[in-house]
Amino acid sequence: MAEDRYETCSEGSACSQMGSNNKCKHVFDRLCGFAPSWNWNTTTTTTLPPPPSGRRIFHRDVEKEAFQYASSSHCLSSYYSVFVVRLAIMVMLAILIGLLTILTWHFTKIYTTKSLKTLAYDLRYELLQRPILRMWNILNSTAEITTAQVKLSQYVIRRYSNPVNQAEQVELYEAMRAITWALFSSKKALNSITINYKNGFVQAFHRDLKDNNTSYIYSDLSNYSMVANEMNSFSAHQAWNDKAIHGNKSAIWYREPLDPVTGDKIGKAMKIAPEDLINIAGLSQVPDGVASWHVAVSKFTDSPLLSAALPVWDSSNKSIMAVVGVTTALYSVGQLMKELVEMHSGHMYLTSQEGYLLATSTNAPLLTNSTKHPTLKMAVDCENEVIKLGAEWLQRAYGNHSPPSHEVHVENAKLGHQQYYIDSFFLNLKRLPLVGVIIIPRKYIMGQVDERAFKTLVILISASLCILVIGCVCILILTNGVSKEMKLRAALISQLEARRKAEASSNYKSQFLANMSHELRTPMAAVIGLLDILISDDCLTNEQYSTVTQIRKCSTALLRLLNNILDLSKVESGKLVLEDAEFDLGRELEGLVDMFSVQCINHNVETVLDLSAGHIILRGWCEYPNSCNGSPIFPLEQKKSRCIQKAREKQNANNEKRTTKRDNKVILWFEVDDTGCGIDPSKWDSVFESFEQADPSTTRLHGGTGLGLCIVRNLVNKMGGDIKVVKKEGQGTLMRLCLVLSTPTDVTEQHYALDFTDNSLVVLLALHGNMSRLITSKWLQKNGVCTIEASEWNGLTQVLRELFHARSPVHNNNNFDAHYPVTEGLKSKLLSIQDMKKPVFVIVVDIGLLDLSTDIWKEQLNFLHRYFGRARFVWMLNHDTSNNIKMEIRRKGNVLMVNKPLYKAKMVHILEAVIKERNLELQKRNNMIGPRTTTKEGELHEFLEIDSTHFDAGSSDDSDTSETVGSNPVSVDGDKQIELVARSPASSTYKINNCLVGLTNEHLEDTNNARKEESCQSSPSSSKHAIEESDPKSLSTKEPSQGGDSECGETHRAAGPNNNVVNGKNSLEGLRILLAEDTPVLQRVATIMLEKMGASVVAVGDGQQAVDALHCKLGVDDCRRDSLQKERNMRSQTEILTSPYDLILMDCQMPKMDGYEATKAIRKSEVGTGLHIPIVALTAHAMSCDEAKCLEVGMDAYLTKPIDFKQMVSTILSLTKRKTS
Amino acid sequence: MDVGQMQRQWLDYTRSLFIEGFLDNQFLQLQQLQDENNPEFVVEVVSLFFDDSERLLKDLNFALDQQGVDFKKVDAHVHQLKGSSSSIGAQRVKNACIAFRNFCEEQNVEACLRCLQQVKQEYCLVKNKLETLFRLEQQIVAAGGSIPMMELGF
Repeated sequence: MAEDRYETCSEGSACSQMGSNNKCKHVFDRLCGFAPSWNWNTTTTTTLPPPPSGRRIFHRDVEKEAFQYASSSHCLSSYYSVFVVRLAIMVMLAILIGLLTILTWHFTKIYTTKSLKTLAYDLRYELLQRPILRMWNILNSTAEITTAQVKLSQYVIRRYSNPVNQAEQVELYEAMRAITWALFSSKKALNSITINYKNGFVQAFHRDLKDNNTSYIYSDLSNYSMVANEMNSFSAHQAWNDKAIHGNKSAIWYREPLDPVTGDKIGKAMKIAPEDLINIAGLSQVPDGVASWHVAVSKFTDSPLLSAALPVWDSSNKSIMAVVGVTTALYSVGQLMKELVEMHSGHMYLTSQEGYLLATSTNAPLLTNSTKHPTLKMAVDCENEVIKLGAEWLQRAYGNHSPPSHEVHVENAKLGHQQYYIDSFFLNLKRLPLVGVIIIPRKYIMGQVDERAFKTLVILISASLCILVIGCVCILILTNGVSKEMKLRAALISQLEARRKAEASSNYKSQFLANMSHELRTPMAAVIGLLDILISDDCLTNEQYSTVTQIRKCSTALLRLLNNILDLSKVESGKLVLEDAEFDLGRELEGLVDMFSVQCINHNVETVLDLSAGHIILRGWCEYPNSCNGSPIFPLEQKKSRCIQKAREKQNANNEKRTTKRDNKVILWFEVDDTGCGIDPSKWDSVFESFEQADPSTTRLHGGTGLGLCIVRNLVNKMGGDIKVVKKEGQGTLMRLCLVLSTPTDVTEQHYALDFTDNSLVVLLALHGNMSRLITSKWLQKNGVCTIEASEWNGLTQVLRELFHARSPVHNNNNFDAHYPVTEGLKSKLLSIQDMKKPVFVIVVDIGLLDLSTDIWKEQLNFLHRYFGRARFVWMLNHDTSNNIKMEIRRKGNVLMVNKPLYKAKMVHILEAVIKERNLELQKRNNMIGPRTTTKEGELHEFLEIDSTHFDAGSSDDSDTSETVGSNPVSVDGDKQIELVARSPASSTYKINNCLVGLTNEHLEDTNNARKEESCQSSPSSSKHAIEESDPKSLSTKEPSQGGDSECGETHRAAGPNNNVVNGKNSLEGLRILLAEDTPVLQRVATIMLEKMGASVVAVGDGQQAVDALHCKLGVDDCRRDSLQKERNMRSQTEILTSPYDLILMDCQMPKMDGYEATKAIRKSEVGTGLHIPIVALTAHAMSCDEAKCLEVGMDAYLTKPIDFKQMVSTILSLTKRKTS
Repeated sequence: MDVGQMQRQWLDYTRSLFIEGFLDNQFLQLQQLQDENNPEFVVEVVSLFFDDSERLLKDLNFALDQQGVDFKKVDAHVHQLKGSSSSIGAQRVKNACIAFRNFCEEQNVEACLRCLQQVKQEYCLVKNKLETLFRLEQQIVAAGGSIPMMELGF
């Protein structure tokens, strides 16, 4: 039973666990959303499949989820694995905990139960055994007493056999009474002893156990006759018996109380009715002459009595003399039972085989109090509920057919509301079989155990449930972490994928851009070529010519733009490598001003470059940290600054520059300040991102793609700088960027000690722009030049009149004042001018002062022309000034024309030109007037013009990245560099020519020729200087090339349209060049090229020959020296001639011995001699690594095939010059 | 034919050569180098180029026909051809040579042979064109005109 219960319990717990599992799983399902595999697992593991409807919903969820995650389907497998792992862990946990619970419960419960059960059985057995033993004892003692009474009675009766008279009879009865008393008193437990004689006389002792009274009961003797009773026949027995029982009704019985101890008579005998008090054992009870047993009841005791009857035989054993009956109360058995039950609880009863109650452990009456006779009760009728129920249960279970052994052990009999143990034992006495039943409540024995077991179970189950829940939560949390990580990983993977794609697409874009611009370059080249053809055509009118020139410029700009796009894609791909090159900040700035001036004019903005401290580079090199140039910050409209930003060289008139020197590094600070719409502070960082603009609306208003600042930042960062937007007072944006540049180590510090004081110059600035005029005038005054300002035509005329009319007729100031009211400042200036000795007037006239809309300008020009002799006019031209006006001005003899804007370098050139002119004028009269010098003159002023127009061309290109590289504009386009540097030599050229020939006005109309020189971007002389003067000491180191220059001038006219070739014709005059080249074509071409320029060339076919040629020449060198010296004029005198050739042009790839080997051999042979013959490599490889290789083996320079004419000449010159100097 | 017309034709033809990419800047330089001292300079150089190229092409043919192709040698030949073609400004031959050299580096015989054919083709083309040009020039000179100068300042 217990086993059963246990099983159901464990099953129940398992079920509850499963149930909790199910719940958990549902939670999981909700959480994870993936389920199919998981759910299948659930159904297999759990006995209860989830309701189908729920499952369907679930599937729908899953489908939704799956749809959502369809893109990352490759992650699903990992998700599944996570859930399978989760599930497995949880199931294992559940099983483990369940097992643990079951085992614990089992071990705590089973053993106790078993041992208790055996104990309980023993107890019950023992308990029942004792009353039965008591009963047995009672029976035994009763039997003994009876037997003893019988034996004694036999003895006495035989002695007094055949009593003859009444006396003997009485004597017999007296003796019988005595022995009977003896026996009766010896056995206290006896209820009564009766002797019923044959003749019907009855003797009895009775003990009332309740009130402990003992009495003697006897019948009246007189009624019995001796004779009448003598019946020996067995047949008479029946009659006697009947008589004894029924016939004695009339007999009178007496009851005589006795002292219980002594047996003495203590009271009077009282008459009582026969059998009123006790049962007298009669002959009927021993019909067959053997002992008989029965249970009797009496009126006086409420417990049944056990009575035994034995016949007393006569000596012959043939007739029964008397019947002895002994009754014993079963009261003591009941008493014992009560005691036992009191100790152990429960109930006991003893019944006869028929079911009559003999004794119970309760106080319930055993007898029914019927009206007539008290009779024995059946057990089922017992008044005690439990006994009754037990008896009924037994009867129900077994009916009347008790089991063969008569023993029943039932452990779970439910009586009423309680469970009981019921055990019965059968005592098989021959005459009186007895059944003992014990009913003990289960609670008494197993109560505690059951309770404990229940408590344990409850605690175990709740504990295991708790553990399960906590474990599941832990697993959930743990696996959640894992799954989260997996999700993140998946996201990362997809992001990487996306990034790769994005990068690839952006790469494609850049490549496309690069390819496109590359493809566009070819047709552009053709366009430019065709334009050049057109330009070279003589039959163009001036207008056509200028148009074509304009187109040419634009095309060049476009080509540059394309190049820049290539560069841009280079920057974006991070492949841009910056090259360190020296540059002059001042010149760069001036170039920038030139570049932007056109744009600025279009936007009606004045561009001013104020380097009031002189040369900016000097400022950069001076020791004061953060020294400020103090240029005024100009409010420029935003568009303008955007242009500047795009140009990415952030210096301009509105920039504030500060320089800091630290070790060999210079930090250049630039500030871009505008008064535009400004940038919101929250966008200060994001504007530097690609395609980010401060405000989307700006795209509509101002255009742009938002790339500019991004590229700016990239470039600035590349140059080791930083760019940021800084807070600004007032409207607009202030951007600050710094560049870390290294200063050249061998800086030759140059300071232009510009001092014009001695020259007593007076400059009249007739310029439109207030600011630029002011700055220029300030700067001039600082350098000792007297300035007068005029802002419009009338002012100019006024000043002119004052200056010249006041001076020239008479030195009379009185008139002056009267006629022309002038301002005080002007007057004082005029006064100081009058103090000067022989002042030289320079009038800088803005072409804008003339009224160009009508024809008045011609008259104005004529007016000015009146002062021509007395002053030098310098014309500031606009970029769009028409050719007519230029021609007219030129016709008037004004040769100094510069394009706007006016800045320092230009001013310096102008002033220098004027000074030199004046100096020369003094000598003029003594000099020959050579016609060719005019050409030179033309060349000069055109030069100035060209110079600036080129910047114009550059300025139209506002996304010019080549400029952006900041520190090295040189490397990107060599042309421009040469132009830049050539500027100062140009004026020197001018000076030198004037030295020889002076200035005349007659040949100034020779403009046609001059125009052709438009393309003379770098005349040989200037390019010579360009190389020579990469440091800015150009002005002073002029002398050595004088001869060459004059030659140049000489051949100039003959050159015709092919200026740039012919100009350099004899620049290599006298040079001996060894050419080592295997390809005959190239050999021939190079030879001709070199010879054209006057060099003598010896060509050899390979490296070996070159080395040989060098060596054999070395031998004959001395004897040839004289003739060579003749050839080479002055130069040879200063030169130490030790080598047969001045230079070797060496092809790198040649049969037998290549250029590298040959160079090595030559350098080896030179060791110790102190010689160093310049070797220039010729190579078809245009890679920089080749250059490195060339330089490594000892070559001095490097030319790529096909040979570029200009480059070759400049390279050769730089090498030979270096040697000379 | 009128001299002027011929001159124009010459110019047109030369332009077409430039536009079609047969010639480049270098050829202009050659023309500029031609003067009274070297009146036949261009023709001279170009015929030098023809001789040289034909020799090189023959060598190349031979080298590539060999069983084990000596790519170093082939490369050297092609390099020479490239140098001379670039010197006279035969741009398309030069470009073909550049491609050729790339394949030489890869040691791809098949592609090299293909390139050789291409180089040959380009060479023949430019040779024909130049010969035509020179014929035109001769005609102009014979007619008493002068060769017009052209300037393509790239």
